[in-house]
Amino acid sequence: MSVNESLDAARDKLLQRAAPDRTEFEDLVIVPLFAFAVALILGAVTMLATGVDLATIGRSYVALLVGSVGSVNALSETLVAAIPLVLAGLGLALGFRAGLFNIGAEGQILMGGLAAVIFGFTFSALPFVILMPLSLLAGALTGAFYAGIAGWLRAATGAHEVISTIMLNLISYRLLDYMLSLPWVQREGRADPVSRSVPDAAELPRLLEWLDPNLRLHAGVFVMLLAVAFVYWLLFRTKLGFEFRASGASPDAARYAGMHASLIIVIAMATAGALAGLAGANQVLGVLGRATPGFSAGIGFDAIAVALLGRSHPIGVLFAGLLFGALQAGGRQMQVDAGVGIDLIGIIQALVIVFIAAPLLVRAIFPWGFRNRQKGTHQ
Amino acid sequence: MQFHRTFRRLSLPLALFLAAPASAFTACQITDTGGIDDNSFNQTAWRGVLDAEDQLGVSGRYLESEAETDYEANINSLLGGACDIIFTIGFLLGDATQSAAEANPDQMFSIVDFAYDPPLPNVLGQVYATDQAAFLAGYLAAGMTQTGILGTFGGINIPPVTVFMDGFVYGAEYYNDRHGTDVTVLGWSPETREGLFTNNFESLDDGRAFAQNLYDEGADIVLPVAGPVGLGSAALANELGVDELMIIGVDADLYETDPERGHVYLTSVVKRMDATVYQVIERAMAGDFSGGVITGTLENGGVDIAPLHDFEAAVPAELMAELDEIRAGITDGSIMIGGQ
Amino acid sequence: MDVELKAITKRFGAVVANKDVTLQVRAGEVLGLLGENGAGKSTLMNVLCGLYRPDEGQIVINGTPVQFTNPGDAIAAGIGMVHQHFMLVPVFTVAENVVLGVEPVGRLNHLDLKTASAKVREISARYGLTVDPDALIETLPVGVQQRVEIIKVLFRSADVLILDEPTAVLTPQEVEDFFGIVRSLRDAGKAIIFITHKLNEILEIADRISVLRAGRIVGESDPATATKADLAEVMVGRPVHFEVDRSGAAPGDAMLVIKDLTVLRDDNTIAVDNVSLTVRGGEVLGIAGVQGNGQSALIQAITGLMPAARGTIRFLGQDITHASVRARHKLGLAHIPEDRQRMGLIPDFTVAENMVLDSYYDPRYARGPQVQWDAVNQWAATAAAAFDVRTTSVFAKAGHLSGGNQQKLIVARELSRDTKAVIAAQPTRGLDVGSIEYIHSRLMAARAEGDAVLIMSSELDEILALSDRIVVMFKGRIVAEFDANVEKPEKSQIGLAMAGVAA
Repeated sequence: MSVNESLDAARDKLLQRAAPDRTEFEDLVIVPLFAFAVALILGAVTMLATGVDLATIGRSYVALLVGSVGSVNALSETLVAAIPLVLAGLGLALGFRAGLFNIGAEGQILMGGLAAVIFGFTFSALPFVILMPLSLLAGALTGAFYAGIAGWLRAATGAHEVISTIMLNLISYRLLDYMLSLPWVQREGRADPVSRSVPDAAELPRLLEWLDPNLRLHAGVFVMLLAVAFVYWLLFRTKLGFEFRASGASPDAARYAGMHASLIIVIAMATAGALAGLAGANQVLGVLGRATPGFSAGIGFDAIAVALLGRSHPIGVLFAGLLFGALQAGGRQMQVDAGVGIDLIGIIQALVIVFIAAPLLVRAIFPWGFRNRQKGTHQ
Repeated sequence: MQFHRTFRRLSLPLALFLAAPASAFTACQITDTGGIDDNSFNQTAWRGVLDAEDQLGVSGRYLESEAETDYEANINSLLGGACDIIFTIGFLLGDATQSAAEANPDQMFSIVDFAYDPPLPNVLGQVYATDQAAFLAGYLAAGMTQTGILGTFGGINIPPVTVFMDGFVYGAEYYNDRHGTDVTVLGWSPETREGLFTNNFESLDDGRAFAQNLYDEGADIVLPVAGPVGLGSAALANELGVDELMIIGVDADLYETDPERGHVYLTSVVKRMDATVYQVIERAMAGDFSGGVITGTLENGGVDIAPLHDFEAAVPAELMAELDEIRAGITDGSIMIGGQ
Repeated sequence: MDVELKAITKRFGAVVANKDVTLQVRAGEVLGLLGENGAGKSTLMNVLCGLYRPDEGQIVINGTPVQFTNPGDAIAAGIGMVHQHFMLVPVFTVAENVVLGVEPVGRLNHLDLKTASAKVREISARYGLTVDPDALIETLPVGVQQRVEIIKVLFRSADVLILDEPTAVLTPQEVEDFFGIVRSLRDAGKAIIFITHKLNEILEIADRISVLRAGRIVGESDPATATKADLAEVMVGRPVHFEVDRSGAAPGDAMLVIKDLTVLRDDNTIAVDNVSLTVRGGEVLGIAGVQGNGQSALIQAITGLMPAARGTIRFLGQDITHASVRARHKLGLAHIPEDRQRMGLIPDFTVAENMVLDSYYDPRYARGPQVQWDAVNQWAATAAAAFDVRTTSVFAKAGHLSGGNQQKLIVARELSRDTKAVIAAQPTRGLDVGSIEYIHSRLMAARAEGDAVLIMSSELDEILALSDRIVVMFKGRIVAEFDANVEKPEKSQIGLAMAGVAA
């Protein structure tokens, strides 16, 4: 009896969650904040070095703030830029968790977006409530299929996904060019590769047009939030997510535990591709209304940074995507108000990533905010 | 709407605080993905704004587009009263310009290389009879080729690009007719409307590769119609030497804007966007802006071929005389391009 | 050179790693420092070699108190440490590794590798280390790599050598050679601190023994008179049973029957060559053999991780030769894998997640596509408590547990369900005495419940202590078999079979 009681007590103690680790909080919140600050400072130094005067630098940073969160339009633009980054970033994060380094989001975005457009104008007779969701789905499924090719190659032949997804990107560029020149895809009266426009019933409706017709925020923002919730659920609440994470953290342990490695690779790649395809569908159905050769605009590559910055966690990816979206929208305002080139925004983005990837450097630069650590942690 | 107006009022003082030294008239330009320093297309249009800054006292701003998804956003961010007129540079901005113009009927727009049908009341299109100048370039090239083969390629298969290629091919054919020669042009067929296209306006590598292909097929003069892409072709010509390959520039006089490799340009098919942009600013300031189209032609100086510079001595006098004759013929309508 | 640690205390926040530790080592002797994992041995040695600064107490060298602010100071003072995990660049030669950081330079500042090679050769010859200075590290066996580490500290003129768990990575033969080296170093007048938790070794090599428990010195003894049991009791703090109670052997039906099994490696060489064996319920079959003679492949074929090229495996009457890992698991086959860090658990996952690593899909823990984490956590806490897994909570990362507790976690996961057979590979490698005792008792409990138990171990003592029957593998074949219940085999008999000498 007493043995049982002491066992119960021990058990209850084991079920108590430790208070959130201070170090974890520092890594997740303070390091990114300081990293951002350092990036801004170094960005200013870069501008100084290229002969921009201090007043302009000040003006450009005010513009960065105003252009990203300073008005309804700024917030709308930030969100519009963030939606595809978050969606594709979620897919990449999911891949990273499963141990797959998918460089192919760009191609999956292109294929997904193209499929959404084609579906949209082909079935233009369908009503909005059917056509719009199905067009999104067409994008997601095509992205899944396209990424699934790389997954299958990896599972069946061992071809490394980094190489195969890069190659699939190259194929997608040319395939898109070709498809856009087919008579049933190409817009009437145009000789250049541009698709027919999607009908209104296939478009993600703009949410704030009643406020100002120039506000571009569209219903894709809900798709984005749903996707964040879905990926969180998938990774941390389901059997499949457990298998993804186990395969990524330790392929040997996953095999030992009886998980089906090749199936997991294919499913993980396909899910990642579906999210990237959804990102592409969002761009064509929410922003452009058509497909053109350059519509992916490097989102698939920026999304790699977003996924890494978000530490492959859905919530982290959401915030990282919003940050990148804000930089993009604010960067535009920097150009307008201060005449500072868009290249600088690229520099600041890169610096943020460098510093977040090097938390020890940030800790060394900023002694405040971090609990003092004893030299050498105890074992 | 009410909300938005309130917001605009609130942001006005901020905007004033932020704005550069105030000036009576602001002209804004949105580039396509080639960027402001592309040595040809966007840069030439921007020169028009710079000239207006010097001579008319306007202030100018530009916004570079990194991707097609930026066009609409970039136009939007220049709306809101900061710009008196917005120039959108390039055919590919046609859709975005149209929707912005329709949503903002009080804003003046002017687009290069696009004519709306029917015309929009607040958009002035700037179009160019580039085929007239390219016809001269084609005739000149046909007279200068050693191999009897000329080459051309485009950025994207859109009218403002292919119009160069049309004129170039027809010019060469006209030379054949007059001299009984058999000069052929690779890379474009005016009849089938098909040819060589890089499908971008950015990649210098493509420019090099396409020129290399044409050179390998025997072409010794190449006309790249793809903005900065052509700089890659010029780099190849620079390495091969002008005896092997000459380039014909487009948009600006590339001998001037690309001085390092100036000697490889036989001539350039100049599209004086700087002149038309300047003209539009003048009109807008004078208050007689209206929607529609202005067209640059050989006759009004809107298009032309550039001076021959280093090749002046190499081009025979009789060929120059024929060019002058053709120029007069096009202007008075006795020579129809494409034989219409 | 004589070194003395006087009343050293070292704290990490609230945790006291070393409390009032006093220790002496003199030139020409081997001091054995004995203690369980986590007793504070490594912290103490890190204090001595300048990585940590003590909160109290001092270090005295040849009667003079010294203060080390960094490892460089300690090296300059003649103290060198050979770490448990080697710090060598695999693609460099021995000589390059040895001089790394203290490169001899010739004229015009060029790297003088000739001098380095000569010096390495000289050190190697003087202490009988036999290392070729020009060999690439990656081509050398582990035992030789360790000698390179020793040459590294000797090259830096160390007179005091700290050897941290040096035998953990060595095979029995390599251990013998290694002890020879330690003796020659001692005879050359070096002072040596030998850190270990292995009782046999410390009795064999040490001239004096100090025992550390929970950060304090709890005993000193003379290896000439001390016994294993005495030392273990001092080290663990309670009497330890080395003898496993194997009474009441009641072998039942044949449960695991392997016939003519051949297993190929990835490169198509033969790993297991035509092996047949049977394990009955209620008996322990031990597989002895020198590492690399096919034991691992045999285990992986039985558990489904390597395919059988030929032959059959039957379990509970079913043919499982081509069954999936999971199907075997569901039949009641428990597997305690050889490499616990890489295969047995996922260090980045929580204790709870690791507890269900191979059973998360079971209806007890999953409904539809979802894992019921509440149920998992409840069960993980129960199992952790029942199997004495010492962790702050089930939400702690498994990688933060000590090796013994990691292994107990795996044992808890594998044995706390209804098993029919237990396959345990190297179940106690690298563990402290207390954990070994516990895991052995759990394996014997499985035997008592009528499970078929198959144990593979490179520790012959372990095989002898646990097994009812013993088979010896050599070059993929079974070369000898002993029935311990009939007559306990001699260690030497098994040793000869392991070396391939026909019994």
